Amino acid sequence: MEGRKLRDMFGSASKPGTEAEEGRNTMSQAGPVTETSSQSRGAAAAARRAKTLEAKEVNLYYGDFHAVEDVSMTIEPNKVTALIGSSGCGKTTFLRSLNRMHELTPGASVKGSIQLDGEDVYSAGVDPVAVRRLVGMVFQQPNPFPTMSIYDNVAAGLDFNAGKIRKADKDEIVERSLRGAHLWDEVKDRLGRPGSGLSGGQQQRLCIARATAVSPEVLLMDEPCSALDPVATLAIEDLIGELKKEYTIAIVTHNMQQAARASDNTAFFNLDESGKPGHLVEIGATEDIFTKPKQKETEDYVSGRFG
Amino acid sequence: MPGIRVEYQEELEALEASALGGLNLVTSQLVRTLEAIEHQDIELAQIVVADDDRIDGRYLEVHQALITLLATQSPVATDLRLISALLHVLKNIERMGDQCVNICKVIPMSGHTPPADQEMVKLILTMGTHAKSLIAQAKRAFCERNVEMARDLVDRDDVIDELNRDCFRLALAIGDDVDQREWAMTMMLTARAIERIGDNSVDIGEQVAFVVTGLFREFEDASHPDAQA
Repeated sequence: MEGRKLRDMFGSASKPGTEAEEGRNTMSQAGPVTETSSQSRGAAAAARRAKTLEAKEVNLYYGDFHAVEDVSMTIEPNKVTALIGSSGCGKTTFLRSLNRMHELTPGASVKGSIQLDGEDVYSAGVDPVAVRRLVGMVFQQPNPFPTMSIYDNVAAGLDFNAGKIRKADKDEIVERSLRGAHLWDEVKDRLGRPGSGLSGGQQQRLCIARATAVSPEVLLMDEPCSALDPVATLAIEDLIGELKKEYTIAIVTHNMQQAARASDNTAFFNLDESGKPGHLVEIGATEDIFTKPKQKETEDYVSGRFG
Repeated sequence: MPGIRVEYQEELEALEASALGGLNLVTSQLVRTLEAIEHQDIELAQIVVADDDRIDGRYLEVHQALITLLATQSPVATDLRLISALLHVLKNIERMGDQCVNICKVIPMSGHTPPADQEMVKLILTMGTHAKSLIAQAKRAFCERNVEMARDLVDRDDVIDELNRDCFRLALAIGDDVDQREWAMTMMLTARAIERIGDNSVDIGEQVAFVVTGLFREFEDASHPDAQA
């Protein structure tokens, strides 16, 4: 029964082959694809309950190196969860395990479970590409496909995942995604121009539009503003506040003021010393973490007393 | 990694010392105020009124520096709670200074040789002595982050409140002489001002509890006296 539900949710990796092929197979079946049809999306667009991500005793390794130890935490739906901590504490590694990107590193392995609304994303038979469609990622450096137009950048995930969809549907999804990313008004007259011609902040919003075009449940962001100027940073933070109405969001940031401004919950990761695995020290409501944290370690970090 | 943000930490410590040093200023104002009451010393009362500028100056100086620290250092957690508490305490100090001024302004109103009731003067001086030790205890509780000591201020303040009520009873029974009744009236204002100094000390104690626990709760809620835990 369980396995059946998982396949409904993530699709099944029944055929061996490249991940791209698996993804296409998945998406051509019934299930998630139907959700992207414009009618059902339109109805759901107001404010919907996104899915909960729950990590249980997650341990992450790079070969023999134990990078992250025993992390259990809940990433609540329609909220922004910030992961903070000094470099090397495992927060980015943990983030990448949430949509099965960690395993793309040669030798990397995962123990424990990560559940999306109760369904383990690491179950046998679950297609990692389908997981990554439901749990999208935005990276530190904006990475639009340089030769593709703005339009094609946003539609890339659609073509990639869904195979053929009608041009009119595609137009609508591209427009809605660009509007959702607060970018439409700036680019609507030059959709055919290359994405690489945009400013850094616009490129990052383009990447967010691309990530949301495939209707994910969760958006993971790995320091999405660290390459941006303060104005573009605040624009992205505003956008994150909008996006949480529809998605569950986890964001890794080195900017503690950003965590304080933009998140609902904050998780603090730390490591005892270099070479030791990173672990979760404390997770709580952001206002509590920044006004009355429970752990002294957290207090020292958010107060800037070390790291 | 010790040694990070040392200057900021030192500045915050210096500002705390400077803010709480305002309590010493208040104490010396209170001592002179009590002396002025006891000896009907109008000149001393005028000096107290003039010296209130020092407390107001301290208030403005530390307040501005704390705002600058908020704007430039993004303090959080304990540091943030401390700064918030110090902003409150500064206000309490400024208010206590003003109460001394209020008292000293009414001293000349009763003239050089008022029809003083010695029992009432004694009560007021006792209230003042208690208020002085409350201020000292509030300061110590803050410096030591001692919540127990801060809570104890409530009991000590009750003593002042009781003396204030005694004063009121004496004032009611003071008799028919118009001058003496007028004098008793100004003494009631004085007693009330000292009583408020005690309340401000208790408020400082509440800020101690906030710095330590992160929770703000009034030790006693005057508008809901029965709801207290």
